Amino acid sequence: MNPIALDIRSLAKQFGAKIAVDNVSLQVPAGSFYGLVGPNGAGKTTMLSMATGLLRPDAGSVLVNGIDIWADPHAAKATLGVLADGVRQFDRLTGRQLVTYSGLLRGMDREEVAVRTEDLLRVMDLVQDGDKLVVDYSAGMTKKISLATAMIHSPNLLVLDEPFEAVDPVSAANIRDILNGYVQLGGTVIVSSHVMDLVQRMCTHVAVIAEGVLKARGTVEEVRAGKSLEERFVDLVGGRGTNEGLSWLRTSSN
Amino acid sequence: MVAHILKLKLRLLGNGFKRSVGQLVGVIIGGLYALGMITLLSAASWATAAENPFPGQLTVIIGSAVVLGWAVIPPLLTGVDLTLEPARFVHFGIPTKVLAPALVLAGFISVPAILTVLGLLGASMMWRLEPAVLAVAMVSAVATAVMAVLLCQYLTIMATALRAKRRFRELTFALLFLLLVSVGPLLSSVISAAENISDWVNPISEVLAYTPFGAFAALPGALAAGNYAQLTLCAALGVIYLAGLYLLLVRATGAATVAPPPQQRAATARGLGVFKIVPATPTGAVMARALVYWLKDPRYAIGVLMVPMLPLIFWFAGRQSGDYTMMFLLGPLIGILLGFSISADVSYDNTAFALHVLTGVSGRADRAGRVAACFTIGIVPLLLAATLPAILSDQLWRLPGDLGLTLAAFLIALGVASVASARYTYAVPLPGENPMKTPPGNGLRIALTQLGTMGVMAVLLIPVVIPYVFAWVNQSPNAGFIALGVGLALGIGLLLGGVILGGKWFERRQPELMQAVMINR
Repeated sequence: MNPIALDIRSLAKQFGAKIAVDNVSLQVPAGSFYGLVGPNGAGKTTMLSMATGLLRPDAGSVLVNGIDIWADPHAAKATLGVLADGVRQFDRLTGRQLVTYSGLLRGMDREEVAVRTEDLLRVMDLVQDGDKLVVDYSAGMTKKISLATAMIHSPNLLVLDEPFEAVDPVSAANIRDILNGYVQLGGTVIVSSHVMDLVQRMCTHVAVIAEGVLKARGTVEEVRAGKSLEERFVDLVGGRGTNEGLSWLRTSSN
Repeated sequence: MVAHILKLKLRLLGNGFKRSVGQLVGVIIGGLYALGMITLLSAASWATAAENPFPGQLTVIIGSAVVLGWAVIPPLLTGVDLTLEPARFVHFGIPTKVLAPALVLAGFISVPAILTVLGLLGASMMWRLEPAVLAVAMVSAVATAVMAVLLCQYLTIMATALRAKRRFRELTFALLFLLLVSVGPLLSSVISAAENISDWVNPISEVLAYTPFGAFAALPGALAAGNYAQLTLCAALGVIYLAGLYLLLVRATGAATVAPPPQQRAATARGLGVFKIVPATPTGAVMARALVYWLKDPRYAIGVLMVPMLPLIFWFAGRQSGDYTMMFLLGPLIGILLGFSISADVSYDNTAFALHVLTGVSGRADRAGRVAACFTIGIVPLLLAATLPAILSDQLWRLPGDLGLTLAAFLIALGVASVASARYTYAVPLPGENPMKTPPGNGLRIALTQLGTMGVMAVLLIPVVIPYVFAWVNQSPNAGFIALGVGLALGIGLLLGGVILGGKWFERRQPELMQAVMINR
């Protein structure tokens, strides 16, 4: 197996005058649980979109398990599972149909897909809702069913953009357990998140991205350098306001 | 507060135009077109003022049509500009007494409302020969416009609560569809049944004059005819209707600002449905998914709205002229329409298309699956349309030719659409949105794309059309069989070619398609 699960080489993307991702390189070792953190609009989603074949980069290349995703997309995508942020699902399908669809699209055989679909619905706690249309799901349920569509083909690498957003604490803990188990068995996970605490507890490695530039990367211990990840993040990214904010915002006013 | 809300509405209108140049251009072209129509109408009313045989009835019918249009089209079909929906003010705690009139007034700040006032004023020019009546006509034109806008607002608030339920949205769509199908034939039957035009104009306008639709519009006619009793009665009725409507509207607005958002019940489908039947391949999966959407997504039905309507329209046209030749063209026309309907497939997927990109499904499987679904849905009605006219008219020699042209049209249209939808996307109603809603200012681009695709289809069909016409002219079944043979060979060949070429383009352009559907253009 390739020692580098995801190799991002000087990736760049510009939208009009705004440079969204500026020459970012990042190596994700196989078997790591990699956190990607950064403020809103830092370029996380843009970078992950380019790394997963959703957005064509202006420059740079991406190797998924050693295969260039832009040169040989079919082979690269076969070993890759993605939870994209901000995209719809085919929501007129039921949850069960959607997961099945994702498996069949990848050319898996029907029995395998059927078994894995039921397993995924079970661990995502969606068995009761498997026959409901996805359009009627809550935000958290939609996240979970999307995660299931990303995992059905047992990929070597999971790229998850904001996987815990809107997911209830119990489901989030279940998903974390699944991901931890997956990493222990040799899988690689990349998650983007805003929740520093979660990343510090869950991940082995972390990269900090701000304004399209990589500010720090390495193991969580290296990056946080003795402080908490949250403190270190604020140091790296800056932008904390002073406390002069809203002097009138207190209960006694008015 | 009222001034604030009016200003907010003006600002929203202005910002709406600023959003994109293309949209602004679209709105300007549309506005100029409407203004041109209004000018024409006004000029026609002005010029024919002297010889118009029944201006009174005409005013009532125009006014009623406008009010009815406002009452039906925005709340049910196009959807209205909901930026100032009362429910959006829930969090501000503005007293209902202030908010309701402000929102009602703000409803008049919109391009359609202004155009309506102008149009009705223009139509009242038909009274220019009698200054007193003209004055009344202009006042009643404005009053009619007010009635139209108020009625539209009231019905919109009523409909919004219901529309939140998906099932209701889809039901309205089905009902409207039935209405649309039947309205043409009904009208033509009524009109042809009447001996002359006054036979139906008189009773209709007579009744409408006492309804909210035509009460105000009846005033100039009554004054001109010297019918003061009707004048008083209609004026009183109009004021009562308007006042009642205003009170209802204020109350509904007030209620809407405190009502909680409606709940909806989740829909279910047992098991895997079509996914169990199709072959367990990527192509089969795409086909099953597309079939679910053909059956569950009203946007697909809109695309083929004409298919069940065409036979009816042709039949009524044939009944009036006694010549049913057009019926023989049903097959090819429906074939083109059905095949063409998958050309917006990727646009309809919207960002759900990401799943196809992420799974790395081959372009060929994607194209072939979509074609297979459309083929499954379309083939039976298509064969009926191709064979029934010849069978029913007892001209069996036509069958091979009709079948040949119809199948060729369908297959070629599917092939061309497979290529087109891999390259061209356009703004469409989003999943779950009102299927009749067209994103504004987008018409030109769609029209050009569709014209181009249709043109290509027509050119590719020429080799089949030649033996077809020859068979028709000479009543020769042999030439018909040639059309059938050429049609099938050409159709299958071009369909395969379209799927392969479309698949190649699809694979090369996946990220670009993804970006296009993300901004829905």
